[in-house]
Amino acid sequence: MLKKRPNLLWLLAPYGLYLAALPLADRVHPTVLGLPFLFFWLLLATLLTPAAVFLAWRGDRKRGRA
Amino acid sequence: MSTNATVATAVFGGFMVLTVVLGLLAVRGHGRTGGLAEWSVGGRSLGTVFIWVLMAGEGYTSFSYLGAAGWGYNHGAPVLYVIAYLSCGYAIGYVVGPMLWAYARRHGLVNITDMVAHRYDRPWLGTLVAVLATVCLLPYIQLQITGMGVVVSTISYGAISLNWAYFIAFAVTTGFVVVSGLRGSAWVSVLKDVLVIATLGFLALYVPVHYFDGYGPFLDRLVAEKPDWLTFTGHGGSGLGAGWFVTTSFLNSLTVVIFPTTVAGYLSARNADALRRNAMLLPFYNVLLFVPMLLGLAAAFVVPGLTGAGSNLALFKLVVDSLPAWAVGVIGVAAALSSIVPMAVFMLVIGTMWGKSVLGAVPALAGRPDRQKPAAQVVVVVSGALALVLTYTEPNTLVRLSLISYEGMAQLVPMILLGLAWRRLTLWGALSGLAAGGALVCGLVFTDHDPVWGVNAGALALAVNVAVALAVSWWGPQPVDARPDDEVLAADPGPEAAPGKTAVSGSV
Repeated sequence: MLKKRPNLLWLLAPYGLYLAALPLADRVHPTVLGLPFLFFWLLLATLLTPAAVFLAWRGDRKRGRA
Repeated sequence: MSTNATVATAVFGGFMVLTVVLGLLAVRGHGRTGGLAEWSVGGRSLGTVFIWVLMAGEGYTSFSYLGAAGWGYNHGAPVLYVIAYLSCGYAIGYVVGPMLWAYARRHGLVNITDMVAHRYDRPWLGTLVAVLATVCLLPYIQLQITGMGVVVSTISYGAISLNWAYFIAFAVTTGFVVVSGLRGSAWVSVLKDVLVIATLGFLALYVPVHYFDGYGPFLDRLVAEKPDWLTFTGHGGSGLGAGWFVTTSFLNSLTVVIFPTTVAGYLSARNADALRRNAMLLPFYNVLLFVPMLLGLAAAFVVPGLTGAGSNLALFKLVVDSLPAWAVGVIGVAAALSSIVPMAVFMLVIGTMWGKSVLGAVPALAGRPDRQKPAAQVVVVVSGALALVLTYTEPNTLVRLSLISYEGMAQLVPMILLGLAWRRLTLWGALSGLAAGGALVCGLVFTDHDPVWGVNAGALALAVNVAVALAVSWWGPQPVDARPDDEVLAADPGPEAAPGKTAVSGSV
């Protein structure tokens, strides 16, 4: 399935953002807009997840699927 | 009764009546004729918006108001796993949802139990999975009952006792779900989501301003005074480090896509594209989950010293302390509906699984969806009543079971997901894996070894589960099954499977 639809790899992006990147994000400083870094990072990941799924969907759409 | 209690109780009571009415109205024009699939999965006719509302409604349970705030209050960072696993799970739902949807539609299936029965060509396997899944789901019903109980008793300023509040939770939920099934739950979810989004949006702005003169000072104090809440392992020696967070989120993200309530949502879709769009939109809802966690942290400043079950009320202590009675009532309704909607779907899927895969195996009901539906409706009442009675009499039994609920359900992942994608996984392989993984989860959790070596016990059990399943599939007995692959396996339906010829027409 991935050979025909490499765009589905975008669906793994949340795993990268939330899980793989966690050791780097597990810190209080620097704060961003006052938010402790870990909370800022996870909020960012939460906002980027729909974008990643959108990119997967757009890839399907271009190929005439979905 | 004080004035405050009267006002808040009246608001709450009014909304509960509205909930039942709304739930019952949903079934107009759909009810009598549809059989089991109409009741269980809304006649497979829901569009993107209703799917979103329903699945957001299922995901945002009483835990979000109570447990999330309580964990935030006690430990801080570890509770963020909820957001991580829901986001990851919703993303892979982009692929899994349409696959399960197409499979169920093609073969006339209504939940995971008849999916495995079809995949492995063994009706008794469906029965077995139905019983196991019920054991894992019953504690969730009880959690919703007790969660709603403490909320209602708190927001009524004590006017409604815990025991009455438990009963109201059961009565309101049963009141609509027995008749109107998944469609009713979807309609009630609309009311719920409007209230949840409005009240949490309001609280997210109001609480920091009211207690801390705004977000800036609130966050500054948080960073300065509570840094140990803000990274792993969190405050208070929770033992929940980054390793636990990663394994738990990974495990739960796989589990949530085969969780029977999620699957009920998938199967209710009108077409596969509604599910793909939903996978894009659903993660936005997770932003709301940050609110109760932040409010739990705020409560650590404002009402310090809550312990045990009291910390679960961290959010509501702030609400009752700072807002007028009518607003307390409305926020209480939002939280109560966050118990009612998931509870309705939990009861519904238990009824569905039993109607189709346990009682459906009885000769008089086999192949008779018209008789399976009333049987399922009876099971709904029985399962709800059982959870209610156990809440009164043996509260600790289900609490202990709830410890293995998610990690136990996770052990079905290889049998379902791997099995539907890969033909060479055999019946005995899947079963042996399930037995090994299930036994390991029970062994570790009930001896207080979860997390084990800093890792989620269910994730370790899943690894063992997969290893055993593969080994037995390779070297074990090979069942004879002459059916072609596309009859047995699930595949992505692609664009052409959109509004199909067998579609039940009509909107929700």
